[in-house]
Order: sequence, then C-alpha cells, then structure tokens
Amino acid sequence: MTIWKISIQNLRSKPFYTFLSVFSLALSIALLLGIQQLETSFKYQMENNLGDIDLVIGAKGSPLQLVLASVLHMDNPTGNIPYEDAKKVSKNPMIKSAVPISYGDNYKGYRIVGTTNEFANFYHAALEKGQAIKKSMEVILGHTVAEKLQLKIGDTFLSSHGLVDNDIEKHSESLKVVGIYKPTQKVIDRLIITNLESIWDVHHTEDEHEHEDEHGPGHEHKESHIGHPEDVYEGNEITSLLISFRNPSALLALPRRINKQTNMQAALPKYELDRLYKYTGVGVKTISWIAYMILVISCMTIFISLYKMVKEHAFDLALLRTYGASNFQLIRMVGYEGCIIGLLAFLLGILLSKMGLYFMFKIVETEYKQNMLHELPFTEFLQIGALVLIMILTSISLAIYPIIKMNISTILSHEK
Amino acid sequence: MVQTDNLTFHYKKKEYTFRFPNISLKNQENLLILGKSGIGKTTLLHLLAGLLKPVSGTIIINGAPINRLSHSHLDTFRGQNIGMVFQKNHAIRSLNVFDNLQARLFFGRKSISKPSIDDLLEQLDLSDFKKSKVNELSEGQLQRLGFALSVIHNPQVILADEPTSSLDDENCKMVMDLLINQAKRTHANLIVITHDHRIKPLFSKAITL
Repeated sequence: MTIWKISIQNLRSKPFYTFLSVFSLALSIALLLGIQQLETSFKYQMENNLGDIDLVIGAKGSPLQLVLASVLHMDNPTGNIPYEDAKKVSKNPMIKSAVPISYGDNYKGYRIVGTTNEFANFYHAALEKGQAIKKSMEVILGHTVAEKLQLKIGDTFLSSHGLVDNDIEKHSESLKVVGIYKPTQKVIDRLIITNLESIWDVHHTEDEHEHEDEHGPGHEHKESHIGHPEDVYEGNEITSLLISFRNPSALLALPRRINKQTNMQAALPKYELDRLYKYTGVGVKTISWIAYMILVISCMTIFISLYKMVKEHAFDLALLRTYGASNFQLIRMVGYEGCIIGLLAFLLGILLSKMGLYFMFKIVETEYKQNMLHELPFTEFLQIGALVLIMILTSISLAIYPIIKMNISTILSHEK
Repeated sequence: MVQTDNLTFHYKKKEYTFRFPNISLKNQENLLILGKSGIGKTTLLHLLAGLLKPVSGTIIINGAPINRLSHSHLDTFRGQNIGMVFQKNHAIRSLNVFDNLQARLFFGRKSISKPSIDDLLEQLDLSDFKKSKVNELSEGQLQRLGFALSVIHNPQVILADEPTSSLDDENCKMVMDLLINQAKRTHANLIVITHDHRIKPLFSKAITL
C-alpha cells in the first residue's frame, strides 16, 4: 500500500470525473501544442523556401503576390516582364546572382519553371541522378515530383497550360526527364525545372499553330525554335527575376531604384512574409487565446474535482488522520491525483495534437504537394509543459486548503 | 496504561470550559464513560486520541505525554497505539475491504503479515468480501469492517464512541464481546463512552461526567 495506490484508486472510483478532467485538459494542451507547431512549421517552411533569394523583380502589382508566386510558388504571377529589362538590372555590381524564371505550365499540378542552371544554387540542390539540362524540352524533377509521379530518367510527358492540373489545355510537345534533384525540404522539391527556351518554345509553337490561319506565312514565330541559338528569343518575356546580393546594403538601394525608375517592381521576400505573418498572426493569436481559456477552464475542472473530493470525503480524510496519516500525507494524496490527471492529459494532448496535425497536413500536402510539418522546438514544448504544470500545481494548492484547515475532531463528531 | 490529570478543554466559540475527572487505568483495565449528550464525552475521547489539545492538564498513554508531543510524533503515536471505533462505521470508499486494512496499517506504520489479516477477516466473517467495495457491504458487514479497522494494528488503547447506541440487543452484545476480547488478547485498555446503559454490567470501572 502506498499513497500513489490510494490516489489511483480514488481516481478509478470516479471514472467519469477523471475522464472529463483529463480530456478537457488534454484538449487545451493539444490545441496549444498544435497551434504552436503549426505556426513554427509555417514560418520555418516559408523562410526555408526563400533559399538565398534576397529580392524578386517582376511585373507591377501586389508585392506579396509576387513573392508568393515567384518565390514560394503558391500564387499566380503578377504578369510578365521583358527579358531585356531584366538583363539590364542583372548587370548591377551589387548583385551576386540574378536568375530569370518563367512559368505558366504544370504537369499534374506540379509547376514547370523555366530558368537557368543557377536556379538550383539558391536551394543548394544537387543532382541525385542524371545530368544538367543541355537543350530545350529537357527537364530536371524536384525530388517530391519524381517520387509522387513515379517518373524516371528518360520518361517523357506532356505539360498542361496554366498552374492547375487539367487535360484540356495540353501542350503538344513532350518534355523529357534528364535528371532528378536530391531532396532539399525546400520549394524546389515540388518543382519541375527546365530552361527558359523550353517555356518559350512550347508557347511560341502554340502561338504559331493558333495564328497560322489568321496571319498566314511570314508570322514572326512561324518556325519551331527548338535548338535555335539564343538571339532568336529576343523580345521574349520572363515572369520574374530572382536576385541574391553580394552584401545586405543593397537591400535598401536597389528595390527603391527599380520601383521608381522602371516599369517593374521589386519585392523583398523576407519583408513581405513578415507582413503576411502579421495578417495570419491575428488568427494564430485568437486560437491561442481560446486554447489558454480552455486551459484555465480545464484547470478549474481539476480544481473543482479535487476540491469536491476533499470536501465530500472530509470524513474519509479525517478517518485517515485517526489511522495515523499526517496532514502532509493527505496533501500528497490529493497532489498525486492532480499530477496523474495532468500527466495523462499531457500525454493525451501530445497524441491528439500529433494526430490532428498529421491529418491536417495530409490535406495540406495534397494541396501544396509538399510536406510542411516541422517539429516544435523543445523549448516551446517545455514552455507549454511548464505552463500546464504551474496551472495544475495552483489547482492542487487551492484544493488542499481545506485539508490544512481541517478540524478532525469536529468532522468526526458531526458526521457521527 | 492511561492516565489523565486535571484535564480541561475550551471550545473557541463557546463560553463553557470542560473540566474532566482524572482517569487512571492500569494495563488491561477497561473503562466506561457515561453521561448525557453535550456533556463533553466525545471531547474527552478526542483528547485521549490526541485529536484535540487540552487547554491544561496532562494525558499519559503508555508512558508518553501525548499532550506534549509534536504534530508528527502525535500522528505516529496515534497510528501505532490507538484504535478508534465510531458509532457509524466508515471506511475509505474508493478502496476495497482488504486495501482498507492495508491502508490502516500503512498509515499506522505497522506491518502485519497477510495471514493475520486473513485471520481477522475470517474471524469477522468477512473473508468472502475481501475484494468487495465498501459500498457493496451490508450495514452489519460495514460494522465488522469498522471494528477490523480499529484493531488490525493491535492498538494499546481502543477508544469507542457510542459503539452500540444504534444496535439491537443481539448486535450490541456481539460488538461488545468483540471489543472486550480484542482488548484482552492484545493487553489493551478499552475506553467506551456511551449513554447506553445496556453495556454497563460489562465494565468493572465506570465514571459519569
């Protein structure tokens, strides 16, 4: 016989109350853990996806949209910019690397990005299999794409126009897989990389077919450009230009100049994301507050349950005192009850939050084609643990007050 | 051995001060304390159990001045040497019969072998209810469990508060037999407070408050 055993038996003798206390506390813990992990994962994934990109230049419009579309590949592009203009900007000495990207097609929902070989450097992505792109209509797959679509080197496929999977606007020329990247846990994992020429070729060829009857022979795009030298592409457009700087001082000067002097806009991904967090932060805060409220309420449930036990079982407790139990032993008995509830709730809470997030991310994963779950840092985990512990200890110390004040003699003679 | 000297007690909210006659019991001597209700019988019993502290006077049980013991020593002393029997019997509701006895021994810091516990249960006809919950017991079984709980640790002093007032003659005799025999077996002092005159003939020593 130990005090632990008595505490456990006490809890088992009132299963409904115990379940209610454990469950409501677990729910608030799950909510707190879940929301924290969600926020951490979200921020981590966003910032991780930025890679080494310091600045993005694209068509005028919403800077947030430009960042979401061209850096995180989550939104539609703001428009196109002339490749010539982008090239001029690239010559700025403050720029370490400037990579043009052009997109507008997808294959089964995965975006096809036309760019240069430098694009992979932003994400430190190395080839796992195959080789670099040598000519138009060759592609390298991000790791997730290859895995999910079961594509191998040498496979060919037809891309669809637009950013959403569809069978109606299929292009007629097939793309050939020449390489697959190693996993990076960054946005490149879910992209299909090709060169700029592939994108232009696909669209020019289609322009040609579409407009053949209207314009007849002599239309500027009447020939297929596959394999043609680069000067043929003069006058072409790209979607945006991704830039990394040599040193951070350029962060202020260059965007201002571009926004003032050119027809393009420059957006700082980090700044735009911070703005985004401010919008989404309201939601996170609201849910956090709800979770804290539930935490307080569930701790009150525990307090009431313990207090009720102490009050209703006052005679039992007084009886234990006549058995030779000290006040401290009775306090421990109540304390252990609270601790068992807290521990069970914490374990159940972790389980609930893990399960909840798992299913949530299953849905998000299919939508964004990327595993976004990121483990909660241990310190945050501890913080929530400590908060719950403090709340439980408070409930316990309030509940044991009647024990300290207990007059055994009065209780025994009154309940006789 | 129980001895009191000039014992007085005063409840905070009441004007009246209880003054108790001196008690002097040798080993194995039993005592009956009679008196009307409100005269302070239970108060005296609780003083002897160390549940209340006297305003003045001394209580010596087996050589220990219990009115001068510290809280923790008093708890230990009570657990080891005193067994209390109540008019209505209570046990810890969340524990079964056997665990109640185990808890009694645990808090009294006494270790009794399992066969001895079984013996006692056998003697009280509770063997079949070893694993029963307290609220599954009948009134009579509960009464016997209460008795078992007061004596399982072989106390030196058994204090009984109106143990028979709600019982019929038959049960009254049974309970008193159990108490007196147990006291004899372990060489303990039995002190019973009551206004039940049926049990008066069983005691050689009696005081009236």
